[in-house]
Amino acid sequence: MKLNLSVLVFALLAALMLNTTVMAADDAEYKAALVKARETLSDAEGKVQLWSTSEILLNDAEEAATAGDFELAVKLATEAGIHGELAVATAEREKKTWQKHVPK
Amino acid sequence: MKRFLIACFLFVVMTNVYATPEQDRLALREFFTQRFPDLDLNEMINGLYAFDEGAREQWLEMEDFPPYEIAIEEGEEAFDTPFANGKAYADCFENGGIGIKQNYPRFDVDSGEIITLEWAINQCRTDNGEEPLPWRTGELAAISAYMAYTSRGNRMSVVIPDDPRALEAYESGKEYYYTRRGQLEFACENCHMQSAGNLLRADRLSGMLGQATHWPVYRSKWGETGTLHKRFMECNSQVRAKPYEAQSQIYRELEFFLSYMSNDMEMNGPASRR
Repeated sequence: MKLNLSVLVFALLAALMLNTTVMAADDAEYKAALVKARETLSDAEGKVQLWSTSEILLNDAEEAATAGDFELAVKLATEAGIHGELAVATAEREKKTWQKHVPK
Repeated sequence: MKRFLIACFLFVVMTNVYATPEQDRLALREFFTQRFPDLDLNEMINGLYAFDEGAREQWLEMEDFPPYEIAIEEGEEAFDTPFANGKAYADCFENGGIGIKQNYPRFDVDSGEIITLEWAINQCRTDNGEEPLPWRTGELAAISAYMAYTSRGNRMSVVIPDDPRALEAYESGKEYYYTRRGQLEFACENCHMQSAGNLLRADRLSGMLGQATHWPVYRSKWGETGTLHKRFMECNSQVRAKPYEAQSQIYRELEFFLSYMSNDMEMNGPASRR
């Protein structure tokens, strides 16, 4: 009985530590995705090409992170960053082509 | 001979890449003449109603009791009400503020800023110790509507002074107009030039010419009278681009360009639209 109790306590502590480690990793991953997304979005904003969708995604990501759903938070922050990358691509292409549409 | 060829080359490059605002305006009119050979371009001040006979009839009936009338009345009352210091809006504008909307936006060579009519109204307030008004609707839109009403029948006369900053602002507005943006990748030009007169769902799209002559506008969709910058914000949102703030530099530049394109067209604000 004494041995069983020790095993149980050990198992509980191990599970708790493992859980904390996983959460910390996810939180870090979310923060990294957020930093990357914000960098791209700042680039898009500087090129006058921010999408309205990015902010919504970032807000949803923050909400998910607050609720502890880091998997979803990472997914949403990454998507926001992709929207930023696509906006930058549009900006770079349009910079070279917009003049073609002006009537001559 | 070599110099002559270089000069010819530079002339061709310059005239193609750096058209003057007036060349842009004339080319735009030519674009719409080609696009709608049977249309009197002056009709384009009426937006979609220049293209859609059925909608035009309904609109003309609505003009018997126009929904923007309340804004004109409220705007006139606010315009005539003195500030706490005893001065009034009339003291801030040439000709007492009557019949002057066609001159806006104007480029102020002292500050290097583009001054829209709404900007000037709020500037007048702050210069006289009053709080500025919100930009998009309400009292500011009403005062602007009244001032537009007193300018009806005048011709749009936006001037780009001989100042590189003014030309830069014009070019910036032009670039914004022709640049695709947002998740849907639409430029203003895609709707209001390429697709002008066509249906977008149930709405017919207005053309770019005359788009700046009739603001502020009472939109049934809004249920109130709003400013041109409110519409810019809405257009940007519709293509899922993040809108800028009303009276932000980029929107003032856009208005500067758009208004110049409507130069010599009749002022007919305020107006009503769906």
